Amino acid sequence: MSIPKVVGIEQEYAIQLKGDPTLTAYEASCMLINAYARRIGLREPGMRLFWDYAHETPYEDIRGRLFRKSPTQQVVSDEDNLLINAGLPNGARLYTDHAHPEYSTAECRSARQAMACDKAGEIVLRKALLEMRVLCPEVGVTLYKNNSDHKGHSYGCHENYLMDAHAHENCIAKEAHATARVLIPFLVTRQVFAGAGKVGSEAPHSRHALYQVSQRADFMENLYGLETMYARPMINTRAEHHADAERFRRLHLILGDANMCEVAGFVKLGATQIVLQMMEAGFIPDDWSLKDPINALRHISVEFQAPVEMQNGRRLSAVQIQRLFLEKAEAFKDTAAAALIPDYEEILTRWAEVLNGLEQLKLSPDFDIQDDPGHLLGKLDWILKLWLLNRYRHARDGSWDHPLLPVLDLQYHRVDNQQGLFYKLQHDGLVTRLCAETEIEHFVNHAPDDTRAYFRSRCIQKYARQIFMLNWEIVGFDHGDIHRMVPLLNPLKGTREQFEALFAGADDSKALVSQLDGGTG
Amino acid sequence: MPDARQIKKPKKKAAVKKEHKQDQAETLSKEKQKKLKELDAYIEGVLEEAGEDFLDQFKQIEGE
Repeated sequence: MSIPKVVGIEQEYAIQLKGDPTLTAYEASCMLINAYARRIGLREPGMRLFWDYAHETPYEDIRGRLFRKSPTQQVVSDEDNLLINAGLPNGARLYTDHAHPEYSTAECRSARQAMACDKAGEIVLRKALLEMRVLCPEVGVTLYKNNSDHKGHSYGCHENYLMDAHAHENCIAKEAHATARVLIPFLVTRQVFAGAGKVGSEAPHSRHALYQVSQRADFMENLYGLETMYARPMINTRAEHHADAERFRRLHLILGDANMCEVAGFVKLGATQIVLQMMEAGFIPDDWSLKDPINALRHISVEFQAPVEMQNGRRLSAVQIQRLFLEKAEAFKDTAAAALIPDYEEILTRWAEVLNGLEQLKLSPDFDIQDDPGHLLGKLDWILKLWLLNRYRHARDGSWDHPLLPVLDLQYHRVDNQQGLFYKLQHDGLVTRLCAETEIEHFVNHAPDDTRAYFRSRCIQKYARQIFMLNWEIVGFDHGDIHRMVPLLNPLKGTREQFEALFAGADDSKALVSQLDGGTG
Repeated sequence: MPDARQIKKPKKKAAVKKEHKQDQAETLSKEKQKKLKELDAYIEGVLEEAGEDFLDQFKQIEGE
């Protein structure tokens, strides 16, 4: 059965501290989160809004009990819970994951929304930063939306896609060859437009690389697995679906890079939605398996135009493999299942545009951009950053060994309007925009209208004082003598269309729940 | 004579247009150059603000 490909992004930000040597990254991240929560009124006396961890099962594997890990379940105290978490009025979650501030967007129906919500996350983090500078001027904190520290440490930009439970079971959980034939080749090769670019290497296999397309390629070691911090897989198999698992499943991808460019983010999310929709509909019977997907991922990152070997012996470049998917997607566009994907035509257009551009792009062996007729410079992060790095190094000795090139790389990702180099390039008109700034700013305060995020968001906006706990699939109210839990097990329900009138008529959460009890929901 | 004038006129116009276009291109190019110079200065400022030891101090804890 085909269902809409609801999508969300989880971005871990790098955090850099100056001024107080005793302050840890964990503490600074918690301070940042609470500075923002305070700014938007979520830390008033009496407010709780605990994040409910009851539905998190990081040790359960979708492939079955044989793959599960032995848990060392950690209990989070109420005090720590509030230190770490903030469920936001835009349906997103801002929290500390290990020692990184992490922004998980609300659930989105469209790739465009998801990209805009991810960009809104940059604004949220920037506001948090400004607030923290006011509250704690002695602490110097800067944030970076990227995926590696150039010293062999990586942090993620994870993607979540809603799948039909039956299709997920067949394509992902039990029949790994179905994934190997279609999804893995797509994921391995999509970096040619989705990569964020990186100076140098952080793994022995890429040690001669001057510049790479992908930041995460150096850190990927497996196709499937539960791990996220070592032996990283492309597809995380954690059985944690944040929905009614009888009907819905979450595909958790952890190989992607953080995008600053709107076009790159949009095509990454949109093309992945389409490929998953085609898989779910059984529209790709072909076998496009790669002989060695992990090596192919690393190889393409270092040399994006070089061919990789497929299981059937053919040798195709990443762009040629992406063309196979695009052609299928074009043939799929008039089906009922394709109609479930918003902006389908625009995704196809942009996908074709970047593949055409990549076919025409000419790079010298030293990574000079010799010809870019598709104007990819303003669309793809790895090319925009490459242009910036080339400009800098050619004004010096032209060498890739210049010690400030990795610094420039990192400064591209700085989440600070005043200093972030990406924003400067965008301000100077070098970057192609897909969204008006107002569209992005809207998602700083509001959730998308067409998923359950709308319901969660409106609850936080209207009844924050009465909420005692929440997570992706539940909102819990404290009504004094009784706790009332509103389950949100269907990510497609809880929309504005369904609940706007109800929220307008319910002055408090008791009235809301009473209306829901009456069968309105 | 009238013919000659007719021939001459467009030629003169074309020359003017060409010159104008050239001027525009030069202005654009000058503007672009100016913007790029500004960008270079901006980059220098960012790197200076980051400091020489930036990369040494930029060490992240492994994330997910």
